[in-house]
Amino acid sequence: MTTKLDRREFLKYAGLISASAAIPLLTPEMLFAANGQQQGKIVVLVELKGGNDGFNTLVPFSDELYYRYRPRISIEPRQVLPLNESVGLHPRMKALMPLWNSGNMAWIQGVGYPNPVLSHFRSMDIWNSASNANQVIEAGWLSRVLPKFKRGLHGVALNKGQAQLGPLNSSNLNAVTMQNPKTFLNQIKRISDVQPNNLNPAIAHVSQTQHQLFGVGAQLANKMGNRPTRSGVRFSKGVFGHSLESVAEMILSGIDSPVYKVTQDGFDTHSGQRGAQDNALFQVAGGLASFQQAMQKAGLWDNVLVVTYSEFGRRAKENRGAGTDHGTASAHMVLGGKVRGGVYGRHPNFEQLDENGNVRHTTDFRAMYATLAQRWWNQPNPWAGAPLIPFV
Amino acid sequence: MGNLGFEDARHLVSRTGIGSEWETISRFQNLTRQQAINYLFNSRDMKLPAPPAMTAWPKMAALRGNMSRRKNIKRISRVEGKALQQWWVKHLLVTKSPFLERMTLFWHNHFPSTIKKTTQASMLHQQNLMLRTNAFGNFGQMLHNISRDPAMLLYLDGHVSTKDEPNENFARELLELFTIGIGNYKEVDMREAARAFTGWGIDVRNGRFRFNPAEHDTGVKTFLGKRGNLKGEDIINILLAHPKTADTIAKKMWREFINISRPDQRVINQWASVFRNSGYDIKVLLNQVLNSKEFWAKSNRGALIKSPIEITIGTLRTLPYTLRRGNLAHNLNIMGQGVFAHPSVKGWSGGKSWISTQSILRRNSMMTNLTSGNLNERKNGGGMASKMPDVNPQQLQQWLLAIPPLQQMPTEPGKQRLTRAFVLDPAYQVN
Repeated sequence: MTTKLDRREFLKYAGLISASAAIPLLTPEMLFAANGQQQGKIVVLVELKGGNDGFNTLVPFSDELYYRYRPRISIEPRQVLPLNESVGLHPRMKALMPLWNSGNMAWIQGVGYPNPVLSHFRSMDIWNSASNANQVIEAGWLSRVLPKFKRGLHGVALNKGQAQLGPLNSSNLNAVTMQNPKTFLNQIKRISDVQPNNLNPAIAHVSQTQHQLFGVGAQLANKMGNRPTRSGVRFSKGVFGHSLESVAEMILSGIDSPVYKVTQDGFDTHSGQRGAQDNALFQVAGGLASFQQAMQKAGLWDNVLVVTYSEFGRRAKENRGAGTDHGTASAHMVLGGKVRGGVYGRHPNFEQLDENGNVRHTTDFRAMYATLAQRWWNQPNPWAGAPLIPFV
Repeated sequence: MGNLGFEDARHLVSRTGIGSEWETISRFQNLTRQQAINYLFNSRDMKLPAPPAMTAWPKMAALRGNMSRRKNIKRISRVEGKALQQWWVKHLLVTKSPFLERMTLFWHNHFPSTIKKTTQASMLHQQNLMLRTNAFGNFGQMLHNISRDPAMLLYLDGHVSTKDEPNENFARELLELFTIGIGNYKEVDMREAARAFTGWGIDVRNGRFRFNPAEHDTGVKTFLGKRGNLKGEDIINILLAHPKTADTIAKKMWREFINISRPDQRVINQWASVFRNSGYDIKVLLNQVLNSKEFWAKSNRGALIKSPIEITIGTLRTLPYTLRRGNLAHNLNIMGQGVFAHPSVKGWSGGKSWISTQSILRRNSMMTNLTSGNLNERKNGGGMASKMPDVNPQQLQQWLLAIPPLQQMPTEPGKQRLTRAFVLDPAYQVN
């Protein structure tokens, strides 16, 4: 690895590692990728839409204040799936515990940014573009990494209804949105090419998007034919499971996209949080567990990093509706065969809340992006000030 | 000022309605601009289809309180939500006052409330009637109404906000999205506003708005520089006195009626000041917008991107196609504009966001299906050509497209073939 890692920086993070990181055995599957497919380094971005409550995801069960702040919605210590002596997983994420046990799961605590904005839309723009709180950048953060990394297709965003490109949104990225590859292949046959027309911004956008769609469509149809390669793994029926099944199928079909983006919504839990968030986390864990199996089976788990993100975390204290209002820093998860399992960063201090009752972040979110750029894709770090986190 | 003529009449109809009905264009081309605009304001088709069966609040509230029965709520609301979507879509297809529906949709998008979050179709139905009644009325009144609207109280958790633990959801979106906009207030203003709305809730017996003084915070609050024992009504009045509220609405009007680019702030200031000086009379603002130089500018023809409702329902209102397969309300859901199913409290962003690689595929498939079968004359009672106005190819293009087509048009004769080619051309996506 050619990355420069400041020794102090390394110790700062590594000192907090407490994973039972077992060295994975080399299995025959890992030596021979199924279907003879070559795959590069892939990132699957998991958007937790609405602002996921990190404190009820990676539960700080040893923090007394957590229980004092959340008399009704906290997760009882005996229900938490402990990762170490201080934090553990939400019980509905049980499906992912094998990944922790095999050292394929990392958590980064306290991820946020200075001068936090509590608007869903503005804060998601900040996360999507890697801007500062007071800065508006239109292009997604991946536009500063991927164009130099590879040519051709850069990303696929999947969702039911209208998928959002988010971090893939940029005129210098070649990215598409779809519900699933099967529908895509079915419908692309009817699309004809059109030359971009600049009469006005509306028709310019329509014609450019159709032109791009035609080009990418030809590539995808070429790789997948009439239908993508099946994953051979059962995925849960929800939208999230369906999206991840699609991602697995595209990877197995040999689509060379370095990024896929999937979304689970339902995290804006202002009231009745336990039912809503519990279910959303269950969907996330189930979908990702199936996805991991599919990748493992194909010998591609080492080529994949799964990374979660969300516009913000939630308030330290619960509210009257047994929910939580908009917050700031949150914990995020990274999964993958090459992941260095463990818990990174510091749990935010519950004793020092800001004037809005929110925690102060301990890790800048751009450190995650910088790490993906430099340590995963071996690209220069566009966020010079951001430290790297040795989760991979 | 002279009569509108075909092109301007077509522009007015397609920008204010849903689709561009030949009949309305014919009527408008012989009217002056103001006559046509007055006609739009005066036609109000309030004859809505009979509402679907919807479970009343007291029964649903009882289920809410029972953990083991909560599943029933989801099931009931899913079925009733679908029926409610169909109810509105049906009206959008046949209404005689598409401008009124377009504006109802505009306010439905400004004040979103979804089936998924509220699980209460009956309240969404009531909210929809309220928005329609006020669509050309007074924005201040509408804002007061929406703050007490039971569906909104459910959607943004107002009904669980109490003096000990105020819920911020409604207060935040009231400031950020419904009125003055982000950057014009501080977090502390939002929290103080949340305190002022505490105790606002829903009467469990009848599902109507209910103020519970015992849960209301009567303490002194400071909101945007005003101090006192402020109540929810006071917060709204302070917001209505703030110039940025009119600015927010004026900008939305620009994106609805002018183009997808950044609005001209000079024009916005002028519209906003007219709106504010009128005491928030929506008709006054609309009149200003529809008479503006920007609205009629040739450079703004085809400068908007059609919404899924415009592209589907608009086509069905304009041309004698019939949708034979699939459910229209469902198609709108997957095209990203399901009514009562906004993606977030921000509503549909519109503009460029309507068009992605995903939505082009869906729109194209939808339009291909819609325009395909009609070539078979036997199945469609003589084909569509017999139901079309008698026009030459050039007039047909003027009618159906706001800008010239991008693709090569077929040269073989045939009105159906040509109509289909226009509808499938990228130029048909803009308005």
